[in-house]
Amino acid sequence: MIDGAHELQQQIVATPFCQLHALQPPVTLPPMDDLLAARSTMAFSLGFHIIFASVGMTMPFMMSAAHYLYLKKKESHYLDLTHMWMKGVAILFAVGAVSGTVLSFELGLLWPGFMKYAGPIIGMPFSWEGTAFFIEAIAIGLFLYGWKRMHPWVHWFTGLMVGISGFASGIFVVAANSWMNTPAGFDWVDGQALNIDPVKAMFNKAWLHQTLHMQVAALQAVGFAVAGIHAYLVLKNPAKKELNLKALKIAMLFGATASLIQPLVGHFAAQKVAEYQPAKLAAMEGHFHTQTHAPLYIGGIPNTETQTMEWGLAIPGLLSFLAHNDVAAEVQGLDQFPRELWPPVVITHISFQVMVALGTFMAGLSLLYFYYLRKSSFPPWLLKMLVASIPLGFIAIEAGWIVTEVGRQPWIIYNILKTRDALTPVPGMIYHFYLFLFLYIGLGLTTLWLLYRQVSAVQKKKEIPHG
Amino acid sequence: MVEILLFFIGASLLLYVLLGGADYGAGILELLPLKKWREEQKDLINAAMGPVWEANHMWLILIVVILFMGFPLLFTTLMTSLHIPMVALLIGIVLRGSVFTFRHYDAQKDDTSQKLYTWLFGLSSLWTSLWLGIIAASLSRGLIDLEARDFHSAYIAPWWGLYPLVQGFFVVCIFSFLASVYLIGETSHPELQKIYIRRACVLNIFLIAVGALVFVTSSLDGSPLLKDFISHPWALACMGGATLLFFILWIFITKRYAFWTRIASAGQVTLILLGWYFLYAPHAILTKQGPLNFFDVAAPTATLKQLTYALLVGSVFIFPSLIYLMKIFKSK
Repeated sequence: MIDGAHELQQQIVATPFCQLHALQPPVTLPPMDDLLAARSTMAFSLGFHIIFASVGMTMPFMMSAAHYLYLKKKESHYLDLTHMWMKGVAILFAVGAVSGTVLSFELGLLWPGFMKYAGPIIGMPFSWEGTAFFIEAIAIGLFLYGWKRMHPWVHWFTGLMVGISGFASGIFVVAANSWMNTPAGFDWVDGQALNIDPVKAMFNKAWLHQTLHMQVAALQAVGFAVAGIHAYLVLKNPAKKELNLKALKIAMLFGATASLIQPLVGHFAAQKVAEYQPAKLAAMEGHFHTQTHAPLYIGGIPNTETQTMEWGLAIPGLLSFLAHNDVAAEVQGLDQFPRELWPPVVITHISFQVMVALGTFMAGLSLLYFYYLRKSSFPPWLLKMLVASIPLGFIAIEAGWIVTEVGRQPWIIYNILKTRDALTPVPGMIYHFYLFLFLYIGLGLTTLWLLYRQVSAVQKKKEIPHG
Repeated sequence: MVEILLFFIGASLLLYVLLGGADYGAGILELLPLKKWREEQKDLINAAMGPVWEANHMWLILIVVILFMGFPLLFTTLMTSLHIPMVALLIGIVLRGSVFTFRHYDAQKDDTSQKLYTWLFGLSSLWTSLWLGIIAASLSRGLIDLEARDFHSAYIAPWWGLYPLVQGFFVVCIFSFLASVYLIGETSHPELQKIYIRRACVLNIFLIAVGALVFVTSSLDGSPLLKDFISHPWALACMGGATLLFFILWIFITKRYAFWTRIASAGQVTLILLGWYFLYAPHAILTKQGPLNFFDVAAPTATLKQLTYALLVGSVFIFPSLIYLMKIFKSK
């Protein structure tokens, strides 16, 4: 029996997954529909999770900073802030944890053909991520419920550990994703992955720039969002102005610093993409024809029929310079790739432009912020701009992930495995999509409502002793 | 190498059932009528489960990660053939995981929303436990068909039937029994203690009764569990041990030894799970085409090595922190 099972095993391993369950669905849907539904489900689940994950891995640092200031200075404002941010972290962490669980299942529910190969190669960062996440889960229990049960500095350290382990798990997960862009650590022989080296796979060519870019982006987005909320409260609730200004400064310390570092990191990342994924870069820039002195387009809508950029403002030579540090360098265009291997150009280009525009805007706003911080007074228009910037960092993160993921299409593992060959044979993916869409919309709205109740409760509560 | 990973899977599943299971059970208990003690029970459950809530959930994540890295074919087979129960499970996990935290951290504790959270938490706990049992039964029914040609035999038949449903209720009983026993030692209200003692006794009888039903329905289902047990001496010994503990448990409960009752009930559940392991190990999934064996489907050695390192190094960090967590919150 064991021998029989072993033979069966060999046979299964040798069969592409899509043929393994060679099924006729009861309702015959065109295969593209299932693929699109599965891709949309994955995009939606990732896009949802990334917001909560970003908060979970960066906000504990702001919370710990406030907590540190309280322990040092014993000013009650900092304690109030720690409590307020702690509750925000608790709510967002819980949703982040469950939406992350959904993703770990969805890898198999939607893309078994991918996991069959990818699991053994790229599972290593996931196993480390699991470890880091476990520590984070323990630390958050200790911090949330440990007030007055531990030495104050030990308690403070558990809060910091939530941030450190959360940040580490973010790095591991993005490293796993980077492998899909620049696969490494195996030999691809006749549709089989041989000579697997998980260490090489994790430290693939894209891991450093992708993790840097994402971690800085998370600090930036969350810093700006938190600062924006407190800027709103400064304007709206003069009685609590001092508290909210303190909060704003802590949040902007992270948000503004990250925003000024990000353009450099982003430039570094784009150069790596130019080197390792030229088709993605060409789609990002709407660059159809290979040429030297390649122009950079600001704005514009790429027309894939005529293969021209419409409405874009062209700056000659700048793309060559940005991609290869030389205005005369040749930049590969989409014409170097067969049409069926083009990523969706319009979505990738527009998302990229949105991300860059928002990043530039936030960097500019950060400079203004530091200028007025030195003068130690913030004009109302600056506070209003910060309020308006609450969602910008998250929009930029979503746009950036669209560039990474859509820009890699039609590949799920770049130049190795196509997304459609990784799709589950289970039919009716559209139902899966709607199910999670409704679940997440409900969950997202509830979370926003809870945060609103949180903020208004804290602001109200504090007015009573004063008034 | 595979042996170490099997140990981690087995241990994680056991800890998930013992610790996470009590959390599920707490949710299920909140669905039962309790008259004037409802608020006390809610506070008790928040205080007892809150600090360990996220950590208890991690055992499941650990199992998933070990499966998809070390045994990718098991992972993909489960997620494909049991796609529907897995989706049902996930929806439950999402709902209860968020609602439990929402209930505690909602800044305005008005009656309507608190009641809604409690009801959703209870319902999703019941729902998820049920599906956990259904999935567990589906692994050993042998109805997972790797060469299925139609929708029903590929995605419905593996988990559809009376036996998986009864197994689902068996898991519901285990979880709520564990929670009752656990809460006896957590509360200092003598009245509430009495209620949990009564619940623990009733649920233990349920556990035995539904356990017997599992055997009956599995025979009707064509996978005669009893016969399997008789041919596996270790599994049979575990069964015997679990039955024996039933009597010891009653002595502890009536004498009100909260700590020893906890140990005995955890021992009973551990023996049930160990019996299940002995029955099927090293097979992971029984399919129509034959059993899928952990050793046959394991990933290449380089991968297993890295996974083992990660787990061993991770344990060095995780276990001391877990013990510290327990020490801070569970020592009175």
